[in-house]
Amino acid sequence: MIKSNNTVTPGRKNSMQIIVFLLFLVLILKLYNIQIVQHSRYVGIADANRIRVLPLEAQRGIIYDRNGEIIAENKFQYNINVIPFEFNSSANNYKVLSNIIGISEETIKKRIRNNYRGRFVPAKILEDVDFEILTKIEEHKLDLPGVLYTLEPLRSFPEGVNISHVIGYLREISKKRIENSNDFRYYQGDLIGWKGIERQYEKILRGKKGFEYIQVNALGQEVKNFHKNKVTPPIPGKDLYLTIDLGLQKYAEELLEEKQGVVIIMNPDNGQVLAMVSKPDYSPNLFSGIIAKEDWNKLRNDPAKPLYNRITQGLYPPGSIFKMLASITALEHNVVDKEQKFYCPGYYRLGRRTFRCWKKPGHGYVDMQKSIVQSCNVYYFNLIRKMDIDLWASTVELFGFGSTTGIDLPNEKSGTLPNRNFLNKKYGVKKWTEGNKLNQVIGQGDVLVSPIQLAKYISGLSTRGKMVQPHLGLRYKENKENDFIYFSPEMDSIKSISEDTWGFIKESMEKVVYAPHGTAHAAKVKGMKVYGKTGTAENPHGETHAWFIGWSENDSLKVSGICLVEHGGHGGSAAAPIIGKLFKYCRDNISY
Amino acid sequence: MNYLKRKKINISSKLLSNTSKTMILLILLICGIGLITLYSASLHVNLSFFQKVIGKQVIWMMLGSIVALLLFFVQKKILYEQAYTFYWIGLVLIILPYFFGSSSTGTSRWLSFSGINFQPSELMKIIIVIAVAKYLANSELHSTNFRVFIVPVIITLIPTAIILKQPDLGTSMILIMAVFPMLFWAGTRLFHIFIFIAPVLSIITAFNFYTFFLWVVVLILVLYFSQEKIVLIILLFLLNLSLGFTTPIMWNNLHTYQQNRILTLLDVESDPQGAGYQVIQSQVAIGSGGLMGKGIGRGTQTHLKFLPEQHTDFIFSVVGEEGGFIAVLIVLSLYFLLILLCFQTAYKIKDKFSSLVIVGLTSVILFHIVINVAMTVGLMPVTGLPLPFLSYGGSFILTCFIIVGLILNLSIEKSRY
Repeated sequence: MIKSNNTVTPGRKNSMQIIVFLLFLVLILKLYNIQIVQHSRYVGIADANRIRVLPLEAQRGIIYDRNGEIIAENKFQYNINVIPFEFNSSANNYKVLSNIIGISEETIKKRIRNNYRGRFVPAKILEDVDFEILTKIEEHKLDLPGVLYTLEPLRSFPEGVNISHVIGYLREISKKRIENSNDFRYYQGDLIGWKGIERQYEKILRGKKGFEYIQVNALGQEVKNFHKNKVTPPIPGKDLYLTIDLGLQKYAEELLEEKQGVVIIMNPDNGQVLAMVSKPDYSPNLFSGIIAKEDWNKLRNDPAKPLYNRITQGLYPPGSIFKMLASITALEHNVVDKEQKFYCPGYYRLGRRTFRCWKKPGHGYVDMQKSIVQSCNVYYFNLIRKMDIDLWASTVELFGFGSTTGIDLPNEKSGTLPNRNFLNKKYGVKKWTEGNKLNQVIGQGDVLVSPIQLAKYISGLSTRGKMVQPHLGLRYKENKENDFIYFSPEMDSIKSISEDTWGFIKESMEKVVYAPHGTAHAAKVKGMKVYGKTGTAENPHGETHAWFIGWSENDSLKVSGICLVEHGGHGGSAAAPIIGKLFKYCRDNISY
Repeated sequence: MNYLKRKKINISSKLLSNTSKTMILLILLICGIGLITLYSASLHVNLSFFQKVIGKQVIWMMLGSIVALLLFFVQKKILYEQAYTFYWIGLVLIILPYFFGSSSTGTSRWLSFSGINFQPSELMKIIIVIAVAKYLANSELHSTNFRVFIVPVIITLIPTAIILKQPDLGTSMILIMAVFPMLFWAGTRLFHIFIFIAPVLSIITAFNFYTFFLWVVVLILVLYFSQEKIVLIILLFLLNLSLGFTTPIMWNNLHTYQQNRILTLLDVESDPQGAGYQVIQSQVAIGSGGLMGKGIGRGTQTHLKFLPEQHTDFIFSVVGEEGGFIAVLIVLSLYFLLILLCFQTAYKIKDKFSSLVIVGLTSVILFHIVINVAMTVGLMPVTGLPLPFLSYGGSFILTCFIIVGLILNLSIEKSRY
């Protein structure tokens, strides 16, 4: 039945077979490339597909005070997360979840977008959910692919004490910070110490996350029997003990009430800070998790600046509490002797300008001790006229002004050291006058210091030149066996000042508190000797700032303290009583 | 009846040639690998054997074997004489789904007969081959005549267009692609094939300056050496050039939704989960298989369901993941040998019609293999063509076995002369 004969030529048959061969060759080469050359890359992707890494949060270290009272501990809350890739597989998921948690689909969408870190990485959509919702989620587990809840540790703080500027707070880590940190594995959404101790000792307090490796199928359902799941347990952070005495801290906060100001109580011999208050402050519980936006904005926009740590970042004119520095300079460099008297008519004339003493009728004839006890300005105007500015400034520098104290809090400011160099820079060479010197010697004008610098200064005066580094960190727990590592802050001392001078200063400061004309009678404490100096600093923005610095000692205890009450009026009436009360508390409750 | 009797005698004396036996062996091996793969894929499914995919596949394969056996006894003469009748019936069948089909997925490919779904375009793959073969086997035609080229192309283009509209890009591609090896085999002038393919290449290359430049160079060379009339050459050159220049302009003038519509048409089976999800998962499955594979039933991509369509379009990825490069090499070698044997058989047969049908049907199988594997490794867009003898699917398994039955039938015929 052949109609026609097969006419195909060998050439055409062969070329067909060659084409077939080439087609197969291309396929095999491509397969070789995928399976052999790029094998490991694809193994990685396949594992990433099926292995879900669930972070197990590490507990942050607990913060205690020096006596073991808890300052910051951890509590837990449940959060709801979704894995975008699985959750987005059906629009119905949004509906179901929206019904359960009572949040609109739009909001869920928005939160997923805001917390997106990748298709397979859980994104947080709801925090602190109650058990009822958790139960419902568990019931609907199969209808809700990619929805999971996680346990998140939070910070919790004791009632009745804020201590906010010491502790600082935690905030969600920024994307930039994640990229730049190598030591620890931070993830978006993690909290990181942002201010205060939480930031300073982040590395000690922060533990290491653990990870659970779960195998899932394409629907995001856990598949257990296929390969074994793996767990790396989290390592909790180390517990930290502070030098703070929580009772004293609480009392100090109460004494400052709603005033704006600062209190620091310290052990002058070793720099351990017993109490540290900067008012206004805020409740640390606002920051127990991620702070609510409204709360954050309220804190930020408050004109009283509650987020601002006045202790390390506030720069103030110190006023009269600075006068001892000129006295020391004069004695050490023999500018005058302490019996030399200057007449105070209540003012001092320099050219056409008049510089006033705080006491309008004047102090009459004033010697050095009287100048400290009664805080006479005119005496110091006369004194500084006899001194080179840099001679005075060298003493100021000796006590640590113009540089940071090294306290273990972030972002400390160094203030000014108004020597010749500084004034030349600020006003230009020869553009400043003797008038600048007159203002500076009484702690006004270009002199700006931070409260923590003054705490170091008063400690130096009380210990005859021991310049300790104020610090808050006492020790931390190295391991479970209660082995502690102690912080060892730096120590320095001023050796160039003679014992006579120290003695004179101590005697004068004692008289500030006890002499009939002394300005700080309110600081007296029974059973202890109190030494101090008040200050009333002019303030261009309104009422004067009230200062008191001092120390108190008996046979077994020595504490130093400073107090500032912004716009508080007189140091003797606004600041000295607070320190007096705190010294009294120390007498009854503190032993080293 | 008369024909059947004679054939029986023939079979009893010399049942099957060695080539045919080898062919059957190769196909059985491939089917075996397919069943092992399906066994693995349904390993973690809690169903009885015949409820599982593998059980159904076994049933379909047995059915297919019976159909192949029946076809083995059908006289070649019927195929030859009724070729055009089949063609018309086929046309009617592929139009029917537009009126009665179940188009639940937005496509109209299926016909339902009391619960059994049937895809008439599958049959069309075979019918086209037979119809074109009959036309080309006409001894009165001179093979270099342009008519010999253009008529088969038209015969093919009509059902291709209908199926493309269903839409089923994969099957349309198979139809049109299978015809060219037949034309080539029948001795059509290469130039004719070239001028038919040229416009398509002009459009495709037009989107990139360098590819288009290269293509124009090739076009000029071919036209220059074609020794055709100068008018025709100039006409063809200008046509292709203007096509190339206008295509990008026209494309850019389309609205995005129009572009998307065309892209969707070209990529019918594209996945809902976003850019190339299926292909990526398939590549990951194959790539993570490595040299030796992960072992039967141990492919994570497969069993954790990351790999889509793993019983049908992407079964090759399962082989790649669980059997590794070695298994893939074995499967492709078996296919390669089978194709080569078929072409060899077609070459040896004295009858032109039989030879052309074998070449056409072999090409259908070949392009299924090439397009499917190219798709699973990401060399081609997802078109939804299954892999012969490996992929699960009733209509397609039947088609494959019909092809086997016909090839065996036609290859045995030569021993009678």
